[in-house]
Amino acid sequence: MDCKKRKDLHSVTDLVLASIQIYMITLIEMAAIAVNQFAECVTCHAWSPDQSMIALCPNNNEVHIYKSVAENWERIHVLQKHDQIIAGIDWSKSSNRIVTVSHDRNSYVWNQEGSVWVPTLVILRLNRAALCVQWSPKGNKFAVGSGAKTVCICYYEQENNWWVSKLIRKKHDSSVTSVAWHPNNVLIATTSTDGKCRVFSTFIKGVDAGKPRKSGSGSSLDAKFGEQIVQLDLSFCWAFGVKWSPSGSSLAYVGHNSMIYFVDQIGPSPSAQSVVLRDLPLRDVMFVSEKLVIGVGYDCNPMVFAADGTGSWSFVRFLDEKKSASSSARYGSQLTEAFGKFYGSSKQGTSNDKSRAGVHDNCINCIVPMKTSESNKITSFSTSGLDGKVVVWDLKNQEDLLEYM
Amino acid sequence: MGEHVEADNAEAIITRIEHKSRKIESLLKQYKPVEALKTALEGSPPKTRDERCKSANWIVVHRALMAIKDVDLMFTSLDPEYYDILMKYLYRGLSTGDRPTCDQCLRIHEKLTQRAGPGCILRALSDTVNTV
Repeated sequence: MDCKKRKDLHSVTDLVLASIQIYMITLIEMAAIAVNQFAECVTCHAWSPDQSMIALCPNNNEVHIYKSVAENWERIHVLQKHDQIIAGIDWSKSSNRIVTVSHDRNSYVWNQEGSVWVPTLVILRLNRAALCVQWSPKGNKFAVGSGAKTVCICYYEQENNWWVSKLIRKKHDSSVTSVAWHPNNVLIATTSTDGKCRVFSTFIKGVDAGKPRKSGSGSSLDAKFGEQIVQLDLSFCWAFGVKWSPSGSSLAYVGHNSMIYFVDQIGPSPSAQSVVLRDLPLRDVMFVSEKLVIGVGYDCNPMVFAADGTGSWSFVRFLDEKKSASSSARYGSQLTEAFGKFYGSSKQGTSNDKSRAGVHDNCINCIVPMKTSESNKITSFSTSGLDGKVVVWDLKNQEDLLEYM
Repeated sequence: MGEHVEADNAEAIITRIEHKSRKIESLLKQYKPVEALKTALEGSPPKTRDERCKSANWIVVHRALMAIKDVDLMFTSLDPEYYDILMKYLYRGLSTGDRPTCDQCLRIHEKLTQRAGPGCILRALSDTVNTV
């Protein structure tokens, strides 16, 4: 009797799984164009300059590099040097170098020599974990945010054959969760768990040749290394995921209080907007164009934000969402809810909300731009998260969003 | 000097809350509980650190909250701009441990969460600076 019951349950589960697959396929036809399960959990990922390879950390002390071979992803390198979880990876567009930072407080710059990746230790002089890293647009500097309330700006010294780390100290009151370079290669924006977003100058004599050209941010480019240009006090709890718009004239970041902030006129008198979210908080953001932002986070589904003609930002929709749900898709989503009930509430997203169960089924903590069209706009990007999937998204067929791109 | 200004400021806030309290009583007599709740929530002093101000305002919000009989009807005329501040007061109510207050707060909490989503709860819980 009991055995029979279990069998029934199995067949129901199979049915649910099958319907989820159908549901996934209908979604993949929409915005997500590729889904790859690389690990149990992916802490961060980065693409090679030609986007034929991906470097990711499977939630341990290694970096795995996969190459696309005949529609499949083959693991071609494992970079082992760190002792603890790798919190950030960035692959330079200009020099084909990879930089990694880890909770072990160290950073390595990896150079490809023949078929091997050779690490060079960068002494960050941190007493807490390194949390995030990004190459500057020119690839001659990189910035590391850390739990030691500091930001390290690292650059290569030719004469000593050595990466030097210069620290921005005593400005942050808590861990630096995200760093973002302004397109002018000098300014960086940071977010930290003291709730603030700050902008600094990282001008380094000899590295940044001469005075950089004046662009949107005006005279702030004359600032010395480590000088704070502006501090934004919009959030009252942890701030994450700061990014600049393609022109560098505005920036966006998110708070753990389910808010997203958009800031224009970065300088002495910035103008800011906050948008309140209905659901769970975001972890990272990315500008697609000056008027379109994608946010990712605990709702497991990328959120689209757009600015209207007057520059006022609002939430448009979830990206992973069918506009007119066909009967089969609705059937699938109802069963997805049942699926969540079978497995208890440990699988977030699937059990929380039937309408939002989609390609990712756990928190998305990383979003990386991919193809850049000729007009400096991104049409494609990838996301990864705690479910171990890397999903590639394409906005080309999202007709309702084209007007913002 | 700074403390003195803060104290003066606190007195002004208390006076305003007393004024608000009289207005709420008169609205309740006219059977306008939602108007009374809006009045109570408006100009609540989350920015001041003065606990007396916070407590005084909680008393008037509590008075208005307990007068709400039909929660669904309340939400038809309560604008979304009040949702975040209302959620903060619901958690203050739940923290009192008083049975009727908690019952009422839980009833409203359920409906408010349906309308405002979990984001509203997160904003209420994560903000440790602007407490009510």
